[in-house]
Amino acid sequence: MDDEPDNTSIFSMSLEDGGFEVDAFTDPLLALTTFRSGHEKYDFLVLDIKMPDMNGFELYEEMRKIDNQVKACFLTAFGEGYTQEFGRRFPASTNVSFIRKPIRVDDLVKKVNKMVNT
Amino acid sequence: MSAEPDKSFTSVTQVLYGVENAVKLFSRVVHGADNVIDICDDDIISHTATSFKIIAERVLQTGAKFRYITEIKKDNIKYCKELMKVSQVRHLDGIRTNFVVTDTEYTSSAIMQQVHAHPEIVYSNVRSIVEQQQYLFENLWNKAIPAERRISEIEEGIELEKTHVIQDPHTIQRLFLDLVRSATHEVLLILPTINAFLREHRIGVIRLLMRAAREHAVNVRILTPTGDVIDHILKNEAISPQEGEGRKEFDIRSINRSHEETSVSTVTIMVVDKKESLVFEKTDDTKENFIDAVGMATHSNSKPTVLSYISIFESLWKQVDLYEQLKTHDKMQKEFINIASHEMKTPTQAIIGYADLIHKHPEKREDMMQSISRNAVRLQRLTNDILDVTRIDSQTLNLHKEQFNIDDLLENIIQDYLGHIEKENQNIKLFYNFKQNNDTLPIDADRDRIAQVISNLLSNAIKFTAKKNGVISISAERKEKEVIVNIRDTGEGINPEIIPRLFTKFATRSFSGTGLGLYISKNIIEAHGGKMWADNNPHGEGATFTFTLPLSNRRAIMISREDGGY
Repeated sequence: MDDEPDNTSIFSMSLEDGGFEVDAFTDPLLALTTFRSGHEKYDFLVLDIKMPDMNGFELYEEMRKIDNQVKACFLTAFGEGYTQEFGRRFPASTNVSFIRKPIRVDDLVKKVNKMVNT
Repeated sequence: MSAEPDKSFTSVTQVLYGVENAVKLFSRVVHGADNVIDICDDDIISHTATSFKIIAERVLQTGAKFRYITEIKKDNIKYCKELMKVSQVRHLDGIRTNFVVTDTEYTSSAIMQQVHAHPEIVYSNVRSIVEQQQYLFENLWNKAIPAERRISEIEEGIELEKTHVIQDPHTIQRLFLDLVRSATHEVLLILPTINAFLREHRIGVIRLLMRAAREHAVNVRILTPTGDVIDHILKNEAISPQEGEGRKEFDIRSINRSHEETSVSTVTIMVVDKKESLVFEKTDDTKENFIDAVGMATHSNSKPTVLSYISIFESLWKQVDLYEQLKTHDKMQKEFINIASHEMKTPTQAIIGYADLIHKHPEKREDMMQSISRNAVRLQRLTNDILDVTRIDSQTLNLHKEQFNIDDLLENIIQDYLGHIEKENQNIKLFYNFKQNNDTLPIDADRDRIAQVISNLLSNAIKFTAKKNGVISISAERKEKEVIVNIRDTGEGINPEIIPRLFTKFATRSFSGTGLGLYISKNIIEAHGGKMWADNNPHGEGATFTFTLPLSNRRAIMISREDGGY
């Protein structure tokens, strides 16, 4: 999930090349509706934080109401501020991590692999 | 006893009696002086008639140096002025002694005090006694102030300059309140702690100050640490029918913790009407009661003292202001860096991503190359804009001004855009309307920068009009000493929420824009002495962007550029 079409296309292509099945969205609301109608299909979420209408944290909060075990990683092009905000929003959560943009596609696949398997 | 001191001794110290003797002795001592006549006098009025004549004669004869110390008051000014013709005169508050000391002799008497009909007179030519008296005079002379200054103070109605120490807490509180009540123009107040503010509030000082500001237009400025409690008090106090009126006269600035160290942390300082200062220590800041917390106070109307406190106050006042500005600037800078870095990382991610993927997906090579190129252009545009913003913010935007006709420049740019619209097959109509009556519009400006502004406005207009197959009309007209350029479109219009911050950095962010264009454009126009604004069109769709620029004072250019470039 990233509001930049170039990014969703790059991330989904990379993850598909790495053997994942990927649904990519540029609209957070559409992503939420899709997740609601079939969350069991998804093992892992890759979410951009800064998006119009709804930010990555808000989207994740909504998605956890549907499936509170779902793992996620957040993509951020910002500095440290967001990790603090995350700490406040999800004090006890261990199911998440952060990935800083820009990232090489191989590194992204490696990181996601590691997170899915832990 | 003889009126004449016994001359058979080389050194003698004697006591004589009576007015007559005193006058004779005075005259003799003065006449014996060759170099120096120093006099201390506590009653110049009853003394002058006799003594002036004697002294003046001697001064004329010998050219002796003559110095006179007395207490100058309103009623003796004219005598002092007389005396000043032959003597150096100085003033000393409350002086109570009469003596004459010369190079070799000393005499002291109570003759000046009229009540004593038979005064005692001391005379001495003993060297050690004369030297002692010379030493005493020298000390008094150094403590005294020049007569000219004292006289002008009296004549200008300035009260005696005094600084005194007050130990009694009740007197301090009374004086504090009296001073606040006496203010007619200005009160400056520095409070060291929140508790000090609360104590001062309890004894009614804050209320009095607010009233002075509101009802008598006294300019009240307070420097104090602030907090919720103080905000609450101020809010409550301000609830009155005339609330708004006194506002600008009553100003509080916050000394916060970060510069408390450098500020006055243990004393309350108040300056009233630039004339009086009251400074008091707090001995125990935990006490709620003013009387229990206050220590020693100094009250002064001495100009140098009061001016020093004013200067301390003004420095702190300014410092608080600068500190706030710095904080805001710092915050804005951080925000800018944050957003700018985000904006730069987005196209960078696309370039890196596609560059990685292009080998694995040769079938998508063309698309990916195009995406890389598009993102590289976006990155380049962003870099240029960020550089421009940096130049604007650091005030290093250099303008290379030349004289040219803005109508020519507009026409050239519009022609380029018309070509572009045709090429892209966009359904946009572009009208322009200037060059009426062959009137040219010469300006002194940086051609490239003005072109940048016009291109930015036209690109925006096209971007927001393209979807709606709209119309863009451009006009430029002379109005007094300015040219007004309007770019009006029938596009989406400006989101009302964005209007207040339309010209700020990163007000809008879209894929094709950097969110910096309007900020840069407005600053370029303002750097040329012009103005820029925008409105949604009142009747109909779209928005109008307007800017003005001063027309050139010099003779208009009648021949437009022929190369067509800009």
